[in-house]
Amino acid sequence: MHKRVFYTPLDFILISLLLAAAGYVFYRIAFHLDYSWNWHVIPQYLFRYDVERGRWVSNYLIDGLVTTIRLSLWAGILALVLGFFFAVMRLSSSLFLRLFARCYIELMRNLPPVVIIFLFYFFLADQFLPLLHLEQVVSRLPPPLQRIEEFLFGDPAILSPFVSAMITLAAFESAYVAEIFRAGIESVENHQREAAYALGLKNHQTMRHIILPQALIRVLPPLSGQLISLIKDSAIVSVISIQELTYQGTQLMASTYMTIEVWTTIALLYLLLTFPCSVMVSYLESRFARS
Amino acid sequence: MNENASGLKSQVQPIVVVDSISKSFTHNVKVLDNVSTRVTKGDVLVIIGPSGSGKSTFLRCLNGLEDIDQGTILIDGIPLDDHEKNRLKIRREVGMVFQSFHLFPHMTVLENVNLAQKLVRKKSKIEATQLSKDLLQKVGVDDKAAVYPNELSGGQQQRVAIARALALMPKIMLFDEATSALDPEMIGEVLDVIRDLANDGMTMVVVTHEMGFAREVSDRVLFMEHGCVIEEAPTERFFQQPAQERTRAFLRKIL
Ligand SMILES: Nc1ncnc2c1ncn2[C@@H]1O[C@H](COP(=O)(O)OP(=O)(O)O)[C@@H](O)[C@H]1O
Ligand SMILES: [Mg+2]
Repeated sequence: MHKRVFYTPLDFILISLLLAAAGYVFYRIAFHLDYSWNWHVIPQYLFRYDVERGRWVSNYLIDGLVTTIRLSLWAGILALVLGFFFAVMRLSSSLFLRLFARCYIELMRNLPPVVIIFLFYFFLADQFLPLLHLEQVVSRLPPPLQRIEEFLFGDPAILSPFVSAMITLAAFESAYVAEIFRAGIESVENHQREAAYALGLKNHQTMRHIILPQALIRVLPPLSGQLISLIKDSAIVSVISIQELTYQGTQLMASTYMTIEVWTTIALLYLLLTFPCSVMVSYLESRFARS
Repeated sequence: MNENASGLKSQVQPIVVVDSISKSFTHNVKVLDNVSTRVTKGDVLVIIGPSGSGKSTFLRCLNGLEDIDQGTILIDGIPLDDHEKNRLKIRREVGMVFQSFHLFPHMTVLENVNLAQKLVRKKSKIEATQLSKDLLQKVGVDDKAAVYPNELSGGQQQRVAIARALALMPKIMLFDEATSALDPEMIGEVLDVIRDLANDGMTMVVVTHEMGFAREVSDRVLFMEHGCVIEEAPTERFFQQPAQERTRAFLRKIL
């Protein structure tokens, strides 16, 4: 059932007051603020005309947006996979696996993300990933594969930092994802396990055919919510110079000093990503609330 | 070990042998206290008793859903012990029908009935579907094969649950108050299905409050109170000349 929307006189008074206040603030900003607006320079940082190639190409902000999308997408997928395994470990019958998953999840959830980022990133990017020689591997790929790589992961020259950032982001988001999965699995009523037991199913069959399908449907809304968080949290990797949207913002601000214009634009670009996801989550929630 | 088993069919090996089992959930409160019984192949044993007397717990011990503290259970010659292999064999020979159906809500009726055939009996989908259709017809819900459980009435759901249990071709069926969660007008249709099974010669242990039905389908009746067996007897004798005063008191209350 939808709640009927109707307005009382009190609502009208409150809305009028709000509008008046907003109008006043806008008036002060427009006519009395000691700030010279330069909105017209923003578009060129979204797209610029490349004279050499004779076409429009993306510029800092859109490049940053694309990096944020790539980062969120891959980190999201990785976080889902890792989170799933940590959840299964957390519920496993082996004490060692339970403790291991528990420690990992608690550690990730009780440290500030920035600290995790620094810890992981410098270990991964400085110590571990150089051993893999990712950039070299990519440079030896045949050109079509290289183009696919570039489309999926961005500039091959900075693949290592990108992968480190992706793993780092996934590492701490996976702790939250794991808790969501765990709650979902535990929410499936015990009598479903009993019915499967009585039918002679083995534990792993019960998990795969009875528990998981029901749990996954239930965790879909909170999981999508967590993925929106991940998009927002990806801004943190700007501290390790990954050229995603927030980092590009800080760079642009440093060179243009157009603080408000730049950050308003960036806020709008983030909303462009997260808002449709939010709408989808509400839709999912209302659908599953019904069934 | 079977020499003192009384009854008409003492020459037949019992398929369920329960010897002096005890169980408690919390310390010192015994939910089952030294319970013993035997069920002969093809017989129907009905268990009655006041609520909380341990009937469900007893039934759940028979397929290992609950662990016992003492005593032994033998199903078709297989001991129900700590060996996972034995438990698996027993679970696959014993079908169970629960009070609140417990169908799998994310699967259609047909998938519910197919599932164990495919996973446990390793049948192909076509083979499984064939048997499932037959069983659904037998319990009278063959027109609902493609429907999800939440679109069915309670009576229909319970009949599907019976078909689902039968699909494993069990040697023994356990019914735990299969009609207690149903609206009165649907009780009959489920009892009919159970009655048919009894007539087909299925070995069954049935917990029920439907005394008329109990009297009609059972070969033996077991009366339980506070986790103890107060009386067990062939059906006619149980109802006509109960030996124990407490049985008489219970029957007076309920009949
Ligand atoms: N999982 C459990 N944990 C603790 N106590 C239980 C549990 N299951 C049943 N009991 C207790 O065991 C006793 C017998 O329960 P039950 O076997 O369900 O009786 P009945 O089916 O005859 O009504 C009751 O007192 C009940 O509270
Ligand atoms: Mg009960």
